[in-house]
Amino acid sequence: MAFASGYFKTTYLEDFRLIETRSRLVCFFVLIAMLAFFPLIASPFLVDLAVQVFLALIGAVALMLLTGYAGQISLGHAGLVAAGAFTTAILFKEVNAPIFVTLPASGLMGAILGLIFGLPSLRLKGLYLALSTLSLHFIVIYLGAEYETHRGFATGILVDPPQIGPLVIEDARLWYYLLLIIDFIVIVFALNLVRSKTGRAWMAIRARDVAAEAFGIKVARYKLIAFILSSVLASITGCLFAYYRGFVSVEAFSLFMTIEYIAMICIGGLGSILGAVMGTIFIVILPYVIDASVDLLSMPARLTTYMFAVKYGSFGLIMIIFLVLEPSGLVAIWHRLRDYFLLWPFKHKSVGR
Amino acid sequence: MQVIVNIVVLGSLYCLICCGYVLIYRASRVLNLAHGEIMSLGAYFLFTVAMSVGSHPALSFICAILMSLVLGLIIYQFLMRFMAGESAFAAVLVTIAMGILLRGLTTLIWTSQDWYPLQYLGIENASHLLMGDGVISTFGIIAVVSFVVIYACLFTSFKFTRWGLRMRAVGENPLFASQRGIRLHRYYAVSWALASFSAGVAGMIQACDSGLNPGMFHIGLKAFPVVVVAGLDSLAGVIPAAFIVALVEILAINYISPQASEVAPFVVLLGMLLIRPWGLFGTKEEIERV
Amino acid sequence: MKRKILAGMLVCLTFVVFLVPPAMAKDPYVIGFSMAMTGRGSGIYAPIKDAFDLYFKEINAGGGINGHPVKILIQDNAAQPSKAAAQAKKFVTQDKAILLMNAALSSTFAPMIKVAKRYKVPIFFAGSVCPKEVYPPNPDPMQFCSTGFAAKYDSRFALSFIKEQSKEPINLGLVAMNIPVSRGEIDFAEELSKSMGIKVSDKEAIPPPTPDYTPFATKLKSAGANWVYSWAPWVTEVKTLEALRKLRWKGKYLAFAHIQAEEELARLKDDNFYVFGTNAFFSDDLEIHKAIKEASLKEKTIYPHTKLVEGWIAAMVLEEILKKVSWPPTPEKVRVAMGKVKAETKGLRGGSLIWTKDNHFRTINYYRVYKWDSAQNKIVTVKDWTPLEVK
Repeated sequence: MAFASGYFKTTYLEDFRLIETRSRLVCFFVLIAMLAFFPLIASPFLVDLAVQVFLALIGAVALMLLTGYAGQISLGHAGLVAAGAFTTAILFKEVNAPIFVTLPASGLMGAILGLIFGLPSLRLKGLYLALSTLSLHFIVIYLGAEYETHRGFATGILVDPPQIGPLVIEDARLWYYLLLIIDFIVIVFALNLVRSKTGRAWMAIRARDVAAEAFGIKVARYKLIAFILSSVLASITGCLFAYYRGFVSVEAFSLFMTIEYIAMICIGGLGSILGAVMGTIFIVILPYVIDASVDLLSMPARLTTYMFAVKYGSFGLIMIIFLVLEPSGLVAIWHRLRDYFLLWPFKHKSVGR
Repeated sequence: MQVIVNIVVLGSLYCLICCGYVLIYRASRVLNLAHGEIMSLGAYFLFTVAMSVGSHPALSFICAILMSLVLGLIIYQFLMRFMAGESAFAAVLVTIAMGILLRGLTTLIWTSQDWYPLQYLGIENASHLLMGDGVISTFGIIAVVSFVVIYACLFTSFKFTRWGLRMRAVGENPLFASQRGIRLHRYYAVSWALASFSAGVAGMIQACDSGLNPGMFHIGLKAFPVVVVAGLDSLAGVIPAAFIVALVEILAINYISPQASEVAPFVVLLGMLLIRPWGLFGTKEEIERV
Repeated sequence: MKRKILAGMLVCLTFVVFLVPPAMAKDPYVIGFSMAMTGRGSGIYAPIKDAFDLYFKEINAGGGINGHPVKILIQDNAAQPSKAAAQAKKFVTQDKAILLMNAALSSTFAPMIKVAKRYKVPIFFAGSVCPKEVYPPNPDPMQFCSTGFAAKYDSRFALSFIKEQSKEPINLGLVAMNIPVSRGEIDFAEELSKSMGIKVSDKEAIPPPTPDYTPFATKLKSAGANWVYSWAPWVTEVKTLEALRKLRWKGKYLAFAHIQAEEELARLKDDNFYVFGTNAFFSDDLEIHKAIKEASLKEKTIYPHTKLVEGWIAAMVLEEILKKVSWPPTPEKVRVAMGKVKAETKGLRGGSLIWTKDNHFRTINYYRVYKWDSAQNKIVTVKDWTPLEVK
């Protein structure tokens, strides 16, 4: 984190803190207050949008840990989310399990699948690893479709809203607060994880794993930990998805979902949790922004049919623009903006932070 | 016998599609995940040309092929050129995004209806009897013939012509090649144009054989396992790999279940990656054991 | 420089998000329609928009219904459930829609149904496959469906048609697309065949992205099928038939007539290709067909007039419903009106579409079978409107 003027840490405790200065603490509380009051003043549509962002955020953080920090490219993310959703649906339909059972079960299934998805990473790198995860994704989807057909849920599996104690979580606002708490836990967990030994090992592996091995880092072990942790988080996302939508079907977990998550972390900025947050907000809100901007230009009914294809294509176009013009993502833009104000009237950072 | 015919036709189609993947990967180490969309664009070009110039089928095909070539050049010139120095991951993402953009454009221009170019071309997709009791359709024959012709041309040109040699040099070590004076951008553009051309041909054959429907670009992804089994940068490997995967798929249809044919190629892919990641004939690179 | 442009674009985009249009004025009847204009299956759903545009343009030009115009807000959900859910919520909470409509894949149903139930706004499936909650005896009070194709009833009719048409012992092949809906229906058809004494020699579930349908057709042919029945999206139905014909298979093929059927019969010119459906083809040349054709040509719709019938029928039903909703409209009034609908289809269906309290699908489903006749060089009706009671 950057500071405006000389700020020196004098104890180890200060170094451990996530929120380092008092002004940052104030900002943090203001943020929490704004997030807490948001659903009370915003329209249900915006609350729903926020819930979607929170839900996707867990998955994005999962993928960021795996690809952004540990450098392992995975194209099987949608398969992992689907696995969590299907575990929840299957447990719900077969044994009517409550959320206290399905959530850990999804996590467990995620861990097992993460191990399976991660084993190829011990032998493969880069594109080859991406391809192996891709094929695993198709296999998971196939198994899900087989379950759906053979058990007679041709149009998908319906799941009731979860019940925590006496509270049935159905209202969008309740979901908002629940997800806010879960997201907070996940983000704090992730931020601490990347500051820890595991995080540093991951960054070393991402840079050059042969060198990491030479340094004494057990590359195999950390790669597997990355896959397993990421898959657990992805499966938890799937479980919450299933409950929020009330519905599980294979069609929802297509390759497009994987592409969306990868877009989230790439456009956000690889290697930064803030990037995951920014990327998620950007990708989830983008289609609605496009919709709104197209609706502003009111056009005859005939042309509106064309507009739908335009909206679909412009998602790809905007992704391309970002990847070509700003490969380091939104985080890089934010850092430039912040540094401009922090360093003013100076232009460049001095050596060292 | 019919099963063998089916495998041959399917394998030829896969060869045509995958040659594009290999060409681009070999030249620039970029995996083009928008290949399915480029293939379907080739088919749409044929449809458009057929609607206007339908009376001369040969002319329509040639026009459509030229348009596919130009498409590949345009894609390189206006998009992939900017990713020429970036990491492979970013380049792959750009191709994915381009695929989404192309899908939107095709829906915009041609809507989501099914089209049948053969109606306008006036050619009939007749079926021909082979020895035994096998039957093959006209376009099945065209698929096999074009696969043989295109591959023969590619092999000879890579081996014997100057630009083929330069393409191989660019693929092997871009830095040295550029130092030597070989224009990298030109040869990358050529690889994209060739890839788009062969994919376009595959798309056109499919459009005439079974029809043009908007779900066609999924087939690009389906052809993926072939490339990995072959080795991402081995053109020669594509031939056996395509037939192996076609064999597995058709055997799955016949002996396991039809729906397993969707996932069977990916199981082969996974197996290949675990046993021999660089494919049958690819070069060993970037793969280390831990 | 590049970066500044990008920053500028980002800033503009963030401002635009706050300029979402305000809630609609209360004057028109507001209906929220979420359909798959792009994405999977959009070929069947997108023409419905054209039909609705045409129909309600005419109605609004004539003064609307009960003196008020009809405003149909159409949004594209690209066959994605989360988009459908968000759009449904927006329609109900922000746009104050009195009715929700859906024309997309079944995966988009559950989120929209949830919203419908939560806000007590009825939902009308127009063009998408009917969910089983609309069938009698106890349909869901909020869900209604006007779509032609229907699981289970279609196969019942189809198999009885095959049985009565065939003079020799039947060796039946079944074809589905590898999506749960189609597979479920074909599995049901298989069981039904067994109970009807029809021998099923082969059953295929073809994955959607298939470059070559010949291997599947080979299996059907070598199993010795003389009749093949297919209930799947049109692309699977027709491509399997073409693959079979290329293999020189001479049997009879029965498929459900989706909107593309009429054009394709003329293209294929296959005398043994039977299509059965609930909507009248343009070859009947009724008054209503002429009207649709004229309107479509005048407005230069994107999709040809032969594909607009399903949407037109849904629009007719909607008009019937709204006529019974007095001003000011509320979702509850709409629901009550939908509970007793008798919509005249002017010949587009075998009879009027009737919804009752216990039946939100239709009381009688009429089927017709068409095929191409090379001798007369046109489409002929093989079996006229056959009612199938829906209990």
